[in-house]
Amino acid sequence: MKCQNCHKSDATVHLTEIKGGSKHEMHLCESCAAAKGLPGKAHFSIQDLLAGIASTQQTGKKGKTKELQCPSCELSISQFQSTGRFGCPDCYTAFSSEILPLIEKIHDSTQHAGKVPGRVSPEVALQKEVRHLQLELKKAIKREDYEKAADIRDRIHRAEQELQARGTPASSDESGPSA
Amino acid sequence: MLFEELLKQTGEWLSGTGPDAEIVICCRLRLARNVQGFRFISRMDAEEREACEKQIRAVILKASVVASDRYVPLHETKALDRKLLVERHLISKEHEESKHPRGVAIDAGEQISIMVNEEDHMRLQVFQSGLQLREALARANGIDDKLASGLDFAFSPQLGYLTACPTNVGTGLRASVMLHLPALVLTRHIEKVFQAVSKLNLAVRGLHGEGTEASGHFYQISNQVTLGRSDLEILANIEQVVPTIIDYERKARAELLKRDRLRIEDRVWRAYGMLRTARIISSEESLMLLSALRMGVHLGLLPDVELSTINHLFLNTQPGHLQRLAAHEMEALERDARRAEYIRQKLNGKHS
Repeated sequence: MKCQNCHKSDATVHLTEIKGGSKHEMHLCESCAAAKGLPGKAHFSIQDLLAGIASTQQTGKKGKTKELQCPSCELSISQFQSTGRFGCPDCYTAFSSEILPLIEKIHDSTQHAGKVPGRVSPEVALQKEVRHLQLELKKAIKREDYEKAADIRDRIHRAEQELQARGTPASSDESGPSA
Repeated sequence: MLFEELLKQTGEWLSGTGPDAEIVICCRLRLARNVQGFRFISRMDAEEREACEKQIRAVILKASVVASDRYVPLHETKALDRKLLVERHLISKEHEESKHPRGVAIDAGEQISIMVNEEDHMRLQVFQSGLQLREALARANGIDDKLASGLDFAFSPQLGYLTACPTNVGTGLRASVMLHLPALVLTRHIEKVFQAVSKLNLAVRGLHGEGTEASGHFYQISNQVTLGRSDLEILANIEQVVPTIIDYERKARAELLKRDRLRIEDRVWRAYGMLRTARIISSEESLMLLSALRMGVHLGLLPDVELSTINHLFLNTQPGHLQRLAAHEMEALERDARRAEYIRQKLNGKHS
């Protein structure tokens, strides 16, 4: 392949970038890459790494199998592969066997060694509980399990009262004045 | 009004007062965080995006990280104003261009910016002039801790902070140092720098980050690895290589002066002459000429020009700034003429 820039020398520097979900590929010779201020040696291409997932997924599975999907956000592994972006924090668990080798290739590690977040305040824990209960309530109503729904509604009410006693609204939509 | 205020000032980190300021422009530290209970941005519906933005905005304002009038809801902000923020590095280009509910909190000195609903739910950035990564980290951690008491960040003991892209997982930390390396480019030693840097798993990028060219001989060096190392180890890796590059650049400048003084003087004075007389000047050309001018000032070749003037020109001659200063949108040619006029006025005083 010839260099995209000078069309003379052979392209030895191959760059793939994912930006806003779309791929950009560049094939340049060493000197054109240098002229563009790019390092002579291309760093790892995440696209190559993502492509590697497909083979690990297809081998070892017999015939037609259902594609791996995150139970929380319903992102499929092939959707992840095409964008390089996860759909929610739970994707890390759902796809763990497929993505841990990828993470190891990127970072040369699969164990966090940095900061750990401090504990959240009781208000935040309560807000989280309210959000969770609201989802449960929707499910109960859908199943027409009204006894359960009434019970959940009571629990939401209690959590909201406690939040109010602590001076925090249940849904955090107290948007501040805007600029 | 916030934008008028911004136009009157040059961010503190561009003050040129930090250590090794003639070579190190500034450093930037970014922490990526997501809130448990929300999907990542690309997977959210309109309602969820709005709820996420509101919640994070409320926590930022409640924690008094910035004054309440310094949170900018970008989906309610004019395109020209948003461009201003991109050119000041306060938001990313992607953040400027997307459509959904999103925002940014900016402190008075423009040293802190918190992007809400960017690729991750929250991206906290701290800027410092010169090579002061540890100061930036301490500051970022302080803000992160404040916000963590109000936001339940997505975190796994094994993989650390969970991010939308696996290249940021773990610490969510990206540290970068912006360097001005004209002499290494002129002496053709810049390749060696790239090689040394890539061996350490660091990335070299142009002025505006990912995918941009190194215009004006400005380079950003940043970490690629975010997992398996502590925040300080990540910084140490960069701190180890940057002083060597600074030293190389200093030696290259001295060598140029010794070997090629006349040519360097000619280059610097020609740049000065062009900037003081041109009638049409593109942003790329002005960047190159201002870069030469900046080097000239540091080599003591141009005693009359202040570094702050050059920094001011770098900032205000960008397309968004020019148009915002003129308070209307301009075609390319009009912009280039306005840029030339602006530079002449600054460098020549009243008689341009």
